[in-house]
Amino acid sequence: MSHHMLSPLDLDEPELEGSGLGWTFGTILIATLFLLFANAVSLRDWIDDLPPSPAQAQAAEIADQWVGITEAMGIAVPRDVMHAQWKRAEEARFHGSGAKEEAADGPAVSTI
Amino acid sequence: MLFPTLSFGLFFLIVFIVVWAASGSNEWRKILLLVASWAFYGAWDWRFVALLIGSALLNWGAAAAIWHQDEAARGRRKAIMILGVAGNLLVLGYFKYYGFFAEQLGDLLRIAGFARDLPLMQVVLPVGISFFTFQGMSYLADVRAGRLAPARLLDVTLLMSFFPHLVAGPIVRGSDLLPQFQETPRLTRDMASMGLLLIVWGLFKKAVVASELSTGLVDPVFFDPAAHSRLDLVAAAYGYAVQIYCDFSAYSDMAIGIAALLGYRFPLNFNQPYRATSLQDFWRRWHISLSSWLRDYLYIGALGGNRRGFARQCVNLLVTMLLGGMWHGAKWTFLIWGGLHGGVLMVERIWERVRPLWMPRLPKLLAIVITFHVVVVGWIFFRAESFDAAIAYLGGIGANNVASDVLTPLACALILFGMAIHFTPPQLGQRLALKLRVLPAPAFALLAGAVILIIDAMRFEGVAPFIYYQF
Repeated sequence: MSHHMLSPLDLDEPELEGSGLGWTFGTILIATLFLLFANAVSLRDWIDDLPPSPAQAQAAEIADQWVGITEAMGIAVPRDVMHAQWKRAEEARFHGSGAKEEAADGPAVSTI
Repeated sequence: MLFPTLSFGLFFLIVFIVVWAASGSNEWRKILLLVASWAFYGAWDWRFVALLIGSALLNWGAAAAIWHQDEAARGRRKAIMILGVAGNLLVLGYFKYYGFFAEQLGDLLRIAGFARDLPLMQVVLPVGISFFTFQGMSYLADVRAGRLAPARLLDVTLLMSFFPHLVAGPIVRGSDLLPQFQETPRLTRDMASMGLLLIVWGLFKKAVVASELSTGLVDPVFFDPAAHSRLDLVAAAYGYAVQIYCDFSAYSDMAIGIAALLGYRFPLNFNQPYRATSLQDFWRRWHISLSSWLRDYLYIGALGGNRRGFARQCVNLLVTMLLGGMWHGAKWTFLIWGGLHGGVLMVERIWERVRPLWMPRLPKLLAIVITFHVVVVGWIFFRAESFDAAIAYLGGIGANNVASDVLTPLACALILFGMAIHFTPPQLGQRLALKLRVLPAPAFALLAGAVILIIDAMRFEGVAPFIYYQF
């Protein structure tokens, strides 16, 4: 029984020289900071779902303020726009049946 | 703690920093990884951490006992291995199959006129038990066959508990992972870029494609097939094929990516399975770590593969697939799913033998379409709550005239997308990783952050557990 492990991590070209640890750490850190600013609403939702406690209540208050700040700065706009578009795509229906209901209580929904 | 959640993200961030900070000592590094793995598993149920430790002790002890026997004492070595495997199966059997078999036995006794109330217990199924017991059994078989030297207790315990693969695979064999535990790993840009790419890709498949199809189409239709139109039933069957692929392969991708960021190399688990041209080909592409496990340790190792004639080979195939079905759970529908796959695999082998030489093989595209539809029929049994529900579902496809509109343009688009990714160039991810690895960290970070932001804007509210957590 021969067993040779194939892995998706095997790239076809020779490895780049040097350690990738600093590069990886930098990538993760910057991506985290980017999301902290651009996706504050996810952090708030996560804190809201934590078991209630004084610390959780305080964290929720700070997260709420942080969401307010990112919204005031306009950083939250791209996420909100994309989320609204996605919700429209979810609500779209064939034959216009869903669109009729939508038209009565919200913005027009594109139908196919 | 599910991979695509902020809780896991924070957990992993801490583990990543602490483990690499402690990399001056490989021993401490492994101890920290072990503690992190237990904390990860304990987040479901702390009691089962003891089961994990007990299972590791069993396999470590049995492997050491096998190794200390003389080479000549083959019978004794085999007997110890069988005892060890039986111990693993006992654990698996108790938690996973006790209720099922007690129920079946009760039914049989009733039919025979012996009405007995068998002690039925509500046994809570530990997450990932099928994965770590299979890992333990293959470790014992490898040590007994001399393919692997027995490892230290710390390494065996970490092999079985390592959190990236712990709850839903891939089934990483001792022969693949234990040698990696011998030295402090090095994180290269290659591993990191491919690892991060796999994590983000897995996040998209799970949080967007699988979750959306599950909640918007598959779950409502499978819940009440009679209330849905023929079109919805067909679409939900295709939808489930895409959902289960995107769900399970997403877990594997994320597991491989997370392990890569910690410096370890995991095996490939999926390779565009729906482009398979036969069922044999499908099983070389779907859940590869399980199918190769079943092939090496059950079909060849225990049953003898094709060494005892063609008829026996066919029976071995069927038995392997039936047991593969049972591995997924104690339900008749899984057994039927395994039987269907085993039966078609048998037919394929027989056809290969009896096919007249003048008869050409099926065109590739037709072979792909036929194989895919056999797989989809199998998924209906796999997903259905019961055999009757699966038959009703199939009957509904043939007869239902109910009008319903569960199928949406978005679901259609996601199904098409889920199929289309099977026909992209096979090394597309690796080629992309080669381009990403040369980017400066800030550029890669902003790119990854932007993609995660898009995924988060698209994801369904909340994250359902991965399908394979239940196995």
